[in-house]
Amino acid sequence: MSLSELLSEFGEQYLQAMFTTWKLTVLAFSIAFVLGIVITVMRISPVKPLRIVGNLYVQIFRNIPGAALLIFLVYALPYLNVVLSYFIAVLTTASLIPAAFCSEYLMAGINTIDAGQIEAARSLGLTFSQMVRRVVIPQALRSVVLQLTNLMVATMLTTAIASQVPLKPRDLTGLVAYINTHAVGGITAFFISAALYFATAIVIGQVGSFIDRKVRILR
Amino acid sequence: MKDKRLSAVDMLYEEPGPKAKRATAIATTISLILVALLLFYVIRLFYVNGQLQPKFWSFFTKWTTWRFLGKGLIGTIEAALAAGVLTFCIGFLFMVGRICPYRVIRAVATVLVEFTRGVPTLLFIYFFFLVIPQAGIKLNTFWRIALPVAISASGVVAEVLRSGVNAVPAGQKEAALSLGMRPSHVFLKVVFPQAIRYVIPALISELVIVVKDTTFAYVVNFPDLMQNAKVLVSNYDSMLPVYLVVAVIYILINYTLNQISAAAGRRRVRAGAPKVQNTQTV
Repeated sequence: MSLSELLSEFGEQYLQAMFTTWKLTVLAFSIAFVLGIVITVMRISPVKPLRIVGNLYVQIFRNIPGAALLIFLVYALPYLNVVLSYFIAVLTTASLIPAAFCSEYLMAGINTIDAGQIEAARSLGLTFSQMVRRVVIPQALRSVVLQLTNLMVATMLTTAIASQVPLKPRDLTGLVAYINTHAVGGITAFFISAALYFATAIVIGQVGSFIDRKVRILR
Repeated sequence: MKDKRLSAVDMLYEEPGPKAKRATAIATTISLILVALLLFYVIRLFYVNGQLQPKFWSFFTKWTTWRFLGKGLIGTIEAALAAGVLTFCIGFLFMVGRICPYRVIRAVATVLVEFTRGVPTLLFIYFFFLVIPQAGIKLNTFWRIALPVAISASGVVAEVLRSGVNAVPAGQKEAALSLGMRPSHVFLKVVFPQAIRYVIPALISELVIVVKDTTFAYVVNFPDLMQNAKVLVSNYDSMLPVYLVVAVIYILINYTLNQISAAAGRRRVRAGAPKVQNTQTV
């Protein structure tokens, strides 16, 4: 099929698919970001069970393959009477895994904070939670903007697992699989999706390095 | 030399007073209770829905079950190793392209690297599964999974290798050039061998991504661990236990790889190698 034929027949679906991918990416990344911060606070807290749970979470979800997690959520959880919609299952997969990586980056970011900062905060009489909220997390976040940018791109790539379940409307990868099994979409159908992913990744990368230039702490 | 300075994490709390001790003890108790409740809830969920019945788990005591899963695991390892070697070769070519003195080659290599980094593995898999056969090229299921996985990881590997090459002190190259070595010799015999040592930890953790991506082998019907798990599920009608066990196996494999990578990283640091950013992502 030529490009114009493809676009006239599937153009609208491509648009929908793009929005599905964008929606999943933004939602999943936001959840992963918040969850990542929570996990990180657990991992640095003085409460041992929380530290253990936080570390366990990271080890499980940075090592589990997305496909294994999604299949588990979609096909195995109903046996426990927990039925998630396809969208929620994909969103959960695409947030739980990046959250573990988010926490790993934040831990690395915290380690770049000068110990003097903590000493200063302590001598001012800040409590642990004040210290975490006002000194540790803000500085850690500012030093990991580029990693988080890469993480957002990786989150977008993870949302491609949506093609493994009959999600409606389809995402960009699911649409290519659909077109190529129902019509001969050929290489063009593939390249439209690839170009849309690629363009999104570049935009995310540009915005990320812009934010990084604004907030990075020069040491 | 060992760095004696405490890091920020070590500094967050030390020598708590009696009040802090009490607060921590209370928080510990409460969180312990919460964790226990959560565990109890999950086990209850399994029990109430009959998932703890022996018929769902007993086949794990059979030798044949593990042999079948083991076969799948070997399929996973084979695909991951083949993809790993391929991704290293493609990544090497991309990296050479990116540091090449000719601007056109550099531009092409940059676009290719960014492209493979910005497009999901599954899209490459569908490309090799659905589009390549339309062009009349026949690949067996092994290459249908190994090739796309390798291509999709190659961009990141190229960047890892490049960061290693950039970390080699400039004096090494200058010294080699002043000895009269050809630039290509300098790169292959002096710069690259050192660069590769710097990035070995990052390359090992890249293998984790490759292993994860091979789970999509079921898309192309290649018998890897995941695909064999699906067969087990239909044979024993035991969905939850099988997928749980398989997920744990994957987690253990990748956890081991990450530990090896971290150990290799610590060794590099002890040997005084320059620090190279580990760019591993999801």
